This record gives sequence, structure tokens and C-alpha cells, in this order.
Amino acid sequence: MAPPKKVFYRRRKVCKFCVEKIDYIDYKDVKLLQQFTPERSKILPRRISGTCARHQRLLQAAIKRARHIALLPFTTD
Amino acid sequence: MRTYELMYVVDPRVPEDEAIALSDSIKELVKTSGGTITKDEAWGRRKLAYPINKQNEGRYFLIYAHTLSDKGVNFGAVEHRLEQNDKVLRYLTVRTDGDIQRAKGKVTADLAAGIVPVVAVEEAPAPAPVVEE
Repeated sequence: MAPPKKVFYRRRKVCKFCVEKIDYIDYKDVKLLQQFTPERSKILPRRISGTCARHQRLLQAAIKRARHIALLPFTTD
Repeated sequence: MRTYELMYVVDPRVPEDEAIALSDSIKELVKTSGGTITKDEAWGRRKLAYPINKQNEGRYFLIYAHTLSDKGVNFGAVEHRLEQNDKVLRYLTVRTDGDIQRAKGKVTADLAAGIVPVVAVEEAPAPAPVVEE
């Protein structure tokens, strides 16, 4: 008999912004943006964070604005 | 109505009173360029995320402005002034009414200036556990 197939339970990822009903992502909200720019300060991809397309787009713009005004780093070395 | 945010960073080597004088002159220029100032903030000295002009700190200023008519603020003049000024390390002008309209449906100056929170991230009660099957 074949060994029982391992079943992975993966928690379904949900868009943080949809859950918390955030419709306007502010570039000044560094604390929020930092959650989406881990260690190397790259923008966390959707496939990892589970952010929906619309919110990822808004988030991306907000992060780039924050970087320009030096609230967020482009990179860390 | 159009709403804007203007943020700029002043060199930390500039003495405080001079920086304040500069911020006053910028506010004046925004007004003469057709804007009404909703609210302004001075964040004070803040660490920069990366050095600019060999400086690790900067003095942050923030202006929220709006116009009642459909005519915009002539930010070209304001940005030109900021660009020419060596004491200004960075500036960022954002027009916010479109985003706020998308989020809230209607635009008010108070909303744009964060007097009425657009989003209540901190105050929001812990989201109810999402039941997923």
C-alpha cells in the first residue's frame, strides 16, 4: 500500500488592505510600508504577500514615493 | 476641488529659524500660486533612509493645500523654487484628490489633510478572524 499522501494545509493568503478596508495607501505611513519591504528593502511580491492587484499597485506607488523622499531606503547594504 | 500634499526635506545644517523662515516663504508661495493651505506640519529632524548630499538627517516639512475651484495650484513655480534652493534636499508634490475620490467617493480638504482620517489603521479593531474553508 502506498504511504498516505501528505496533505499540506496552506492558509489562504488574503490581501491585508482588503481585510482592513484600507483604500488609500499613504506614502507617509512608514510603519505600514515597512511590512512590505523586508530586509533588503525590496517590494514584497504579490505571490508572497497575497496583496490583491489593485492594492499592490497602490502600495507600489506609495513605496516609491516614500523612497524618493528618503522615508524608506532603496536598498540596505 | 483639488487637494495636494507637498513634502520637502531641508538640510540639517541650516539653523532652525532659517528653516522656519524658508517654510514660511514656501507657504506664501503656495498661496500666491493659487492654493489654500489646509494644514501644515513640521516633523523636525528625522533620520534619512539613505544619505543625501552626505547628510544623514533632514528636517521634514509638510504642507497640505487645496483649491476650491477647478483651477489647479501652479506648483511649477513652487517646485522651481525648491529645486533652486540648495538647502532643500528633496521635495515631493502629490495631488491626492483622485486617490481620495477613489477611496471615499467625495473629496474634502479635511479628508486630504488627514484631519478626518482617510484610513483608520491604528484605531481599527482587530479584524475578526477570517473564516476560510
